[in-house]
Amino acid sequence: MQIKRLVLSGLWVVCLAGVPSAVHGREAHVRIVGDGAAKTRLSLAGVQHPDTPEARLFMQVLTRNIQRSGWFEAVGAGTAAGVEVSGTVADPGLRVEIAARNPVTGQRYLNRTFQAESPRRLAHQVCDAIVEAVKGVPGIAGLRVAMVGSRNGSRDLYLCDMDGGDLVQLTHDGHPCLSPDWFPDGKSLVYMSLHRGFPDIYRIDLATMRRSVVSAHPGLNAAPSISPDGRDMALALSKDGNPELYVMQLRSGRLERLTRTQHAAEASPSWSPDGRHLVYVSDSSGAPQLYIIPASGGGVRRISYRGNENVSPHWGPDGRIVYSSRRQGHYRVCIYHPETGEDLQVTQDAADYENPRWLPNARHILADRTERYKTDVYLLDTRGDAPVRLTTAAGDWYSPAASPR
Amino acid sequence: MKQVARVAGFSMCCVLLLSGGCRRFGTQKAGFDDGEMLGPHQFEDFDMPLGARTEFGQQVMGLDFAPVQFSYDRFQVADAERAKIEAAAAYLRVNPALTLVIEGHCDERGSREYNMALGERRALAVRAYLIGLGIPSERIQTVSYGIDKPADPGRNEQAWARNRRAEFVFYK
Repeated sequence: MQIKRLVLSGLWVVCLAGVPSAVHGREAHVRIVGDGAAKTRLSLAGVQHPDTPEARLFMQVLTRNIQRSGWFEAVGAGTAAGVEVSGTVADPGLRVEIAARNPVTGQRYLNRTFQAESPRRLAHQVCDAIVEAVKGVPGIAGLRVAMVGSRNGSRDLYLCDMDGGDLVQLTHDGHPCLSPDWFPDGKSLVYMSLHRGFPDIYRIDLATMRRSVVSAHPGLNAAPSISPDGRDMALALSKDGNPELYVMQLRSGRLERLTRTQHAAEASPSWSPDGRHLVYVSDSSGAPQLYIIPASGGGVRRISYRGNENVSPHWGPDGRIVYSSRRQGHYRVCIYHPETGEDLQVTQDAADYENPRWLPNARHILADRTERYKTDVYLLDTRGDAPVRLTTAAGDWYSPAASPR
Repeated sequence: MKQVARVAGFSMCCVLLLSGGCRRFGTQKAGFDDGEMLGPHQFEDFDMPLGARTEFGQQVMGLDFAPVQFSYDRFQVADAERAKIEAAAAYLRVNPALTLVIEGHCDERGSREYNMALGERRALAVRAYLIGLGIPSERIQTVSYGIDKPADPGRNEQAWARNRRAEFVFYK
């Protein structure tokens, strides 16, 4: 995995400040993400635990979570650390008291008791609490990932943890399915499935595991994307004779048609964080490229010019759009900032990365990565940590979407 | 001068109304108005809506209609492929009780979501040609499989070319 260095400091100041600049689409510079973000050393040596399988699993998962969080380097006893975590794991290992402090300044970050139904969930909770308390950003360990698994030609929807663990098969249809997307409350998701013979949109309630039809118009029903307020769903429909973009009011089923392009297809809508715009794919220029349209309809702006195919956009919580761009023969994960026009290339190894999706922390990205005809879901870091593979089971795993919380 | 502007504005709005884009065009939000705007000429309105999905009977087996092949990332029916669609039209004419599902397929390269749309357009292009030949639109349904149902599992140019296709499936 070759990932080249990028000087980020100045760029990130501009990006995060959201300063509008004169740089736009065509003139945008491409930068490549670097080889490892700065880390704070964190010691877990002060966490006492009984010698039970549960407690050992808790410590193992917690250590891995801390490393994968992207913010810390877990160090052993005797090494100077910027954060010292201490505490006691209660027998057998489903409850823990945790404190975290800065040994130099004495600053206390955290002092809490955690409880969970499994050692893995307990470790996820503790890791996310440490990340949030020390770095002030949401952790990712407790998120769930929805994705499609293709095993022996049989495709279904699955869920797993951010470290690939606790894999659960959600559907048992065996038919092509795609594009899971979460409701903002994280309690249900929508996706496309062909299990009744046509590509239709379904909703699964994760508490009851009940499935209902959301959209089954004649022709194509694809690429569902739930609005940030959970009231609307953008999708592609061909019921009027050509794949076009629509917004459906979920409560009433009322449809608003956004595009009218008899000679082009639209796909893959994704909402801006304020719910006012959609980014999507259209091939009206002759090849798939990215466009932005107001969610209530209106003037369209093309935003992608580099790469002969730009697909699968996902608008992140900090306003940046991640997408997959075909450059030098491979699909690369790239990030576009609509306000500054800055374009950042995240991957550049000889693999194809598709269906990139932001995590709620606006730092990490999930994407499927295909190399030698094997596809797996990876966690990518925009600050330069190496990609980490989530899926380890046989088969192909793709179209990931992280739960909002 | 004002008069001229008003007339110009009025005719502009007429164009937008005809193109079905006037109201939407007016709701352009600030902040995204500085890129390349696609003019109202991009918005066309020649819909051929799909009929409601009907209950399908049994699939007619043992038929051998050649699939319509397509170029990479294209959905236009090539001249050389038209005879295949005309053969399906002739079969529908002599069997007026049959309905047709056109399956659109793509090769495995490219985004899965985009290929769902591309497969649908291939099926719709064949459908449009059939309608042009006089087949009632309500007898035809389309379904896209994107890249998920290849005819040839190979991973080379020859297999990809075979997989870029629209297939005819008839139901009693």
